[in-house]
Amino acid sequence: MADSDEEYIGGISEDEGDNNIARGLRGAAGSASKRRKQKGGAEFELSRTWETLVEGADGTISSTVEGLLEASKRKRLLRDTTPLQRGIIRHVVLILDLSQAMTEKDLRPTRYLLTLRYAQEFVREFFEQNPISQIGVLGLRDGLALRISDMSGNPTEHISAIQEMRSQDPKGLPSLQNGLEMARGALFHAPSHGTREILVIFGSLLSSDPGDIHQTITTLIDDKIRVGIVGLAAQVAICRELCTKTNGGDDTTYGVALNEQHFRELMMDVTTPPATYSQKQSTSSLLMMGFPSRTIELFPSLCACHSNPTSGGYLCSRCNSKVCGLPAECPSCGLTLILSTHLARSYHHLFPLMNWVEIPWQRASRSTACFACGISFPAVPPREQWHVTENLTKGMSVSSRYECTVCKNHFCIDCDLFAHEVVHNCPGCQSRIAIHSQDDVSKGQDGLEQMDTSG
Amino acid sequence: MNAVDATEHYETSAHDPAPSLLTVIIDTNPHAWALLEKNDKNQLPFSTALANILVFLNAHLACNYANEVAVVASHSHKAAWLYPSASTITTDPDGDVAMTADGNSNGGRQVNKYRLFRIVEEQVTSNLRRLMDSTSRADVNSSSSTMMAGALTLALSHINRRTIAWAEAHGGGDTSSLTRSSDPDTSTASMHARRSTTTTATNDSGAEGLQSRILIISVSSATGSAHQYIPIMNGIFACQRLHVPIDVCKLSGDAVFLQQASDATKGIYMSLSEPRGLLQYLMMAFLPDQRSRKHLILPTRVDVDFRAACFCHRRVVDVGFVCSICLSIFCEPPENGDCLTCGTHLDMGDYGAKPAVVARKKTKKKKPRPNGVSATPTPTPTPGP
Repeated sequence: MADSDEEYIGGISEDEGDNNIARGLRGAAGSASKRRKQKGGAEFELSRTWETLVEGADGTISSTVEGLLEASKRKRLLRDTTPLQRGIIRHVVLILDLSQAMTEKDLRPTRYLLTLRYAQEFVREFFEQNPISQIGVLGLRDGLALRISDMSGNPTEHISAIQEMRSQDPKGLPSLQNGLEMARGALFHAPSHGTREILVIFGSLLSSDPGDIHQTITTLIDDKIRVGIVGLAAQVAICRELCTKTNGGDDTTYGVALNEQHFRELMMDVTTPPATYSQKQSTSSLLMMGFPSRTIELFPSLCACHSNPTSGGYLCSRCNSKVCGLPAECPSCGLTLILSTHLARSYHHLFPLMNWVEIPWQRASRSTACFACGISFPAVPPREQWHVTENLTKGMSVSSRYECTVCKNHFCIDCDLFAHEVVHNCPGCQSRIAIHSQDDVSKGQDGLEQMDTSG
Repeated sequence: MNAVDATEHYETSAHDPAPSLLTVIIDTNPHAWALLEKNDKNQLPFSTALANILVFLNAHLACNYANEVAVVASHSHKAAWLYPSASTITTDPDGDVAMTADGNSNGGRQVNKYRLFRIVEEQVTSNLRRLMDSTSRADVNSSSSTMMAGALTLALSHINRRTIAWAEAHGGGDTSSLTRSSDPDTSTASMHARRSTTTTATNDSGAEGLQSRILIISVSSATGSAHQYIPIMNGIFACQRLHVPIDVCKLSGDAVFLQQASDATKGIYMSLSEPRGLLQYLMMAFLPDQRSRKHLILPTRVDVDFRAACFCHRRVVDVGFVCSICLSIFCEPPENGDCLTCGTHLDMGDYGAKPAVVARKKTKKKKPRPNGVSATPTPTPTPGP
């Protein structure tokens, strides 16, 4: 990294500035975010990225650059790890603006093409995170709502349907009301234990509606449908009102994209299952589900769902009828059949891994190498130098060590990132959990606490 | 075209097959090995198995000069590195590996051995001996399971580290390392970006990227790992994301979650009928790397046990009750209808209720009554106290 040139560094810090604004937009309450937004442009212009660079003792800036890199890695890690109740069985309608305004080229290559590309990525990521949820896609064109794909749980269907839209051109004016009404119809049959959500990608600054959109908003509230909007041009008053009212006064679901990167972030944020509010949005229920095992037969037999001859499939765990694909409902006894891996995919939302804490030099001497990958940490400098490197960048550890508060092991930044974003396990806790589970086994029942810390 | 102007040989030299990193997780649970050794028919002492595994590791190292191995022990009470151990990774401030790491240990005895083979063998055996020595009687008595989730997480961390290091060291990877470290965006997008870089790094058909895979040599049975259900599943999904296949070589018993692991990551699951032939199984089934596997018919199993572990008693179930909020699995409806994980009061439906039992009709043997009152049935007598 030491040989990076100036432009590269500049790029980092500018992006960081962006990111601050973006966070403010989403994180703060309504009025605050507006203020930030107005100020945001000016701040952005005035950020002097070169001033943050300080020459190190050896006359190079490599130490600062590495610090910046590490800080940026670290920053995205520090998020809320409160295990919120989340609605994991979701029903989402994605509404894409296909009107004239989407031909603008302020987002490269055009708003239209970028939206279609991100919509496909959204669908893929959505099913990765919410495997037993359903999605439907609508479009707004020529004042009409256009059905692109029906509600279903199969990502490839949606992706190919969105792909086909590439050959068509955006035209006319959008009608937000028509789109919302059609989405409401699509969500009408969603069972009460799932969430009902609408995500609108809205490029225009107007909506040409046949009737009173406020009436539609009221019906949406009655139907407990939450609306999130990603604007591509500027804030639109009705969009903010729509988001605020349908989300119980919380307007953080409305965001206006600053650039391509930010647009993508806003969309991808929606893939995380939404927190359930304390006021009952939906009634929760206990569902009985079967986890069938796959079998293989020498001779094909008819499956109970489609009456097609197949030589393998899943046997219902209650009545042993054969279905050819999962998830499905057993055609003969009505039991919901699902792959347990589908459920397990969302467990890291339930048992999030705690954030790891930075280690000051005082406690750094306990370890010389990362517990997980074995990379060696920088040696502890003499006591006099401790304060020099202190407070260099916020959020990063001066000693490059990060400690899991449960198992007290030290890890490097890369393992920190990897553990929190990809694997969702703490290597330290998992490697010596038996010390806990010994008394767990003796006590028998209190496995839940143990699971909390480990999962 | 290239053939005409004879520039073809440049390309062939530039497209060396990418090295692959093989991480072997050895289940060293003493209980299970003792059971396996006692088995009269299929005796396989641990020492023999280890010797076989070392030969297999050497075979992998010999396939390509840049191939790497790593060995993790999943012991009964902890997971630990066998190779590389922390001492060899220790580097000088210059970034060089310390010369003493391999120079001091009885090098004179085995001068004729390929250096890498010798290092691997020495470290694995010495670390394993240390691990066994540190295992107290209490540790063995208290738990008969194995720390598979921890070993899997350690292996993944190492794979992540090596992938980053490989990408930085080689020209092909510098763009990915740049995007990885320079985009200061929030989690989801970065995760995505990183996943795509990792995908290109590990899955590209080109010469780029370190190809990693994990081989689990498992002897413990399924019930032992039920309490690690969530961490193991997290590990499996991480492997799936990184396109790291998990191969499972099962010496005894059958493990539910390991079947799911190899199925989800497109690895090989083999349950050995003749554990004594371990080396042959390893060489024939598990040696080919991802690139060769595309052209082979893999000896994996098709029927997979997809059962899950319940959160309340850690039983492995095939029909469970699922909380619609948090998707926790229970083997029986929780008391009062409150979810044990998220505390939501759940609408129970009729699951908890006992089926209404219709009282068996007492069919009396009817004697034909002579006085003809049989048309009106006699009321059943009041039951006695």
